[in-house]
Amino acid sequence: MPRTIAIVEDEPLIRANYVEALGRIGYEVRGYASRPEAEAVFAQRMPELVIIDIGLGDEPEGGFELCRSLRVRSPTLPIIFLTARDSDFDVISGLRLGADDYLAKDVSFHQLAARISALFRRMDALRRPAESDSVIEQGPLRIESERMRISWAGQDVPLTVTEFWMVYTLARFPGHVKSRDQLMRDAQVVVDDATITSHIKRIRKKFVAIDPAFDAIDTVHGAGYRWRG
Amino acid sequence: MSLRFKLLIVALSTLVLPWMGWQLVRQTESLLRQGQEQALQASAEAIVKAIDALGVAVPVEEPVFPAFAATAPVLVDGYTDDWSAWRADLQPVGPGDQARARVALAEDRAWLYVLVEVRDGTRTRVDARDRRVWTSDHVVLELERGGERSRYPLASAAPGEFDAPADPPLRELPERILGQWQEDGSSYRIEFRLPRAVLPDRLAFALYDAAAPARADPPLRRLLRYDEDAARALARLAPERMRARLATPEGWLVADSGGLVADADAAEPDDEGWFGGLIYRGMIAPALTGTRSLDGVSARLAGEEVAAAATGRPRLSWRPGERPGEVVLAAAVPRHADGRVTGVLLLEQASRALPLLANRALTGLAVASAIALAVAAGVLVSFGALLSFRIRRLRNAAEQAVGSGGRWTGPLPLADAGDELGDLARSFGKLLHEVDAYTGYLRTLASKLSHELNTPLAIVKSSLDNLDQQPLGDGARAYLARARDGAERLGTIVRAMSESHRIERAIASADAEDFDLAALVAGCAEGYRALAGPRTIRLRLPDGPVPFHGAPELIAQALDKLFDNARSFTPEGGWIELRLARERDGVVLTVANSGPLLPAALQDRLFDTLVSMRERSARGSGEAPHLGLGLYVVRLVADLHRGHAAAHDRAERDGVEFVLRLAGMPRRRLADVH
Repeated sequence: MPRTIAIVEDEPLIRANYVEALGRIGYEVRGYASRPEAEAVFAQRMPELVIIDIGLGDEPEGGFELCRSLRVRSPTLPIIFLTARDSDFDVISGLRLGADDYLAKDVSFHQLAARISALFRRMDALRRPAESDSVIEQGPLRIESERMRISWAGQDVPLTVTEFWMVYTLARFPGHVKSRDQLMRDAQVVVDDATITSHIKRIRKKFVAIDPAFDAIDTVHGAGYRWRG
Repeated sequence: MSLRFKLLIVALSTLVLPWMGWQLVRQTESLLRQGQEQALQASAEAIVKAIDALGVAVPVEEPVFPAFAATAPVLVDGYTDDWSAWRADLQPVGPGDQARARVALAEDRAWLYVLVEVRDGTRTRVDARDRRVWTSDHVVLELERGGERSRYPLASAAPGEFDAPADPPLRELPERILGQWQEDGSSYRIEFRLPRAVLPDRLAFALYDAAAPARADPPLRRLLRYDEDAARALARLAPERMRARLATPEGWLVADSGGLVADADAAEPDDEGWFGGLIYRGMIAPALTGTRSLDGVSARLAGEEVAAAATGRPRLSWRPGERPGEVVLAAAVPRHADGRVTGVLLLEQASRALPLLANRALTGLAVASAIALAVAAGVLVSFGALLSFRIRRLRNAAEQAVGSGGRWTGPLPLADAGDELGDLARSFGKLLHEVDAYTGYLRTLASKLSHELNTPLAIVKSSLDNLDQQPLGDGARAYLARARDGAERLGTIVRAMSESHRIERAIASADAEDFDLAALVAGCAEGYRALAGPRTIRLRLPDGPVPFHGAPELIAQALDKLFDNARSFTPEGGWIELRLARERDGVVLTVANSGPLLPAALQDRLFDTLVSMRERSARGSGEAPHLGLGLYVVRLVADLHRGHAAAHDRAERDGVEFVLRLAGMPRRRLADVH
């Protein structure tokens, strides 16, 4: 039984492209052009993963609305946001919508597919009992790689998939400087340096929200970032 | 040339006023003069006619020996001291060699004095009564009286008295002449006197020089004497305060009368003095070309006026008077008899009234026009100053607005003025507003455009991803790869376009923290070594940490941009230098590199958005396109840290220097945080 993915995107050409591409991998993909249309269908049957564009037709922030209503109905449903603007990243994280990842629309299909499969893997892992061999512990930091879950001093840090991958890359080898390029490669994103910087900044904020004394991520100017072991 | 100066020059145009007044005064003066000239000439001619009518004797025929009126007693001593008044009027006794002997005659009530001066360097001297006298140096005096003639050999063996006998002795004439003989190295002088009772009718002198024997027989000449009758007649005829003189055509004075006395007004206390005279002479008087020697009392009226009249043409002339501010008008008219000019009447009038009148007018005019000029110049200059002050204010405001990238806050000065400058200010305001709007549009254009391009780009990319999954021939794969490459590049461009927007956002949300700037610069420099390739990286840091309050990421980013910029302009094998220094109120971060100098046109605008100094685009090189945003980012970061960015050529002219002066972000007070 193939997994079902719903794509809510008002641009028909992109929608068709994604539907076809993901269908080719083996998912069962449905495309919807607007929020009411998608909500009508979701009311009857929930997909296993949702990709949402923020601007939907006449509703510039229709994607947020949809995300909120979906989250209410299912706390574990993986949701990926697609945005046309980089600046929306900040808006989304600011809204604390609980989306699992945010991607720019020009993301390559390969990167999108990597995230989708990672999210499905996480769903599967969450259903199974935790396996000890996939856990990395660094002082107060605990990373469960399969479940893509990171906790700091026993508290969950709500990271997106991209952010998880970044922290994972950094924390696996404490003290090693990871350049921005490495981070981009491991997090499967193609963005510029400034965006990496803002990603790191957001990650720090999320840790700081739990522990105000957090300063494990070191900026090595001119080189990159380092996890302080 | 400043506006004020120009207006001052314009003010000079008011000088036309006094100039015209001056011309008017001159014209009036010249008319008055003409009237005076005509009147004087008419009087002179009338006097001549009257003299003829009164039967005043016509002066004797030429040539003559003039007898001057001796005003002081003449001592017969052979010396010329008492002849000094007539030294210039010595007459040669004859032509040619005879001209070496010159004669002067003077008379007083009782005597006719004679002085003969002979230039002769050789001596052959005997006394007059010596038999050899006719072959020695001597002067023959020939006298004629009542139709009979006698000759006297004037000679002396030694300086002193001589005694010349008459030859032949006549009853009518003295039987001998006693006189004085004096000599020096080059000449000798003979002086003697004849009583007026035996005055000869005619006389002649002949020089005999023993060194150059030649006997001359010069014609007898009449004695020209001062004519008292004519003087009396002139005194009767000449108008008051005029001087009338009668002369022979040669200029020998025959009679004179009156004197040069200016109008009675001259005695008035408002004498213009030397200054008035100066003004008059400098500005009004026509050329005063008259012969000045006519002023004095002399036996001969030498001057072109007399010479012209002697040829039959009346002549008028003006000359400066003896007192300041005085002019003398002279009219010389000929006296005719039998179609020949027999004499010249010189009538002169000294005049002060005219200059006075003209001076007063001119002085008044000068004062009035000086006041007018000063007022006009003052008004124009202050007006110009006001005008240029206003224009400067407007210009400063406009320049400031342009300097700040077209951003102008608040109204321009003068915008509510009603005149043309107000119009200009309003136009400027409109223009600046347009520029502001345009700059704003440009500033946001890139990010707006990138936003709009994202969706079609996503379509292209996702379509290419899909196409990749389709069964394709090798040829098609190649095209697919190219299309993907193009799309990638397009994606880079779109991202670059929205960079400044992202930076602006990042700056807006930047949080300040305390960090060591030296460590940051050192870290960045370390990172750049890998990127610099064959170029040398030089790092100069102050000792010890440099604590700084700001956004380290943004500073690092600005440094990245500066390094990027430096690297692209540094030739391989060149150097790039990073320098950090503390300053009194902040730090100076310098990125210098060897390479080409800055284009002069861009110096001030390098840090503006969308300004690029790269001549070639990055096309074909595979690099990211250059939209001129990098240095704009630097400026934004500098602004955030209360500093500024500047770029200039190095003093050594071997490269350029980008300087960031940073003061640090303001510290927020705790109250602001919560």
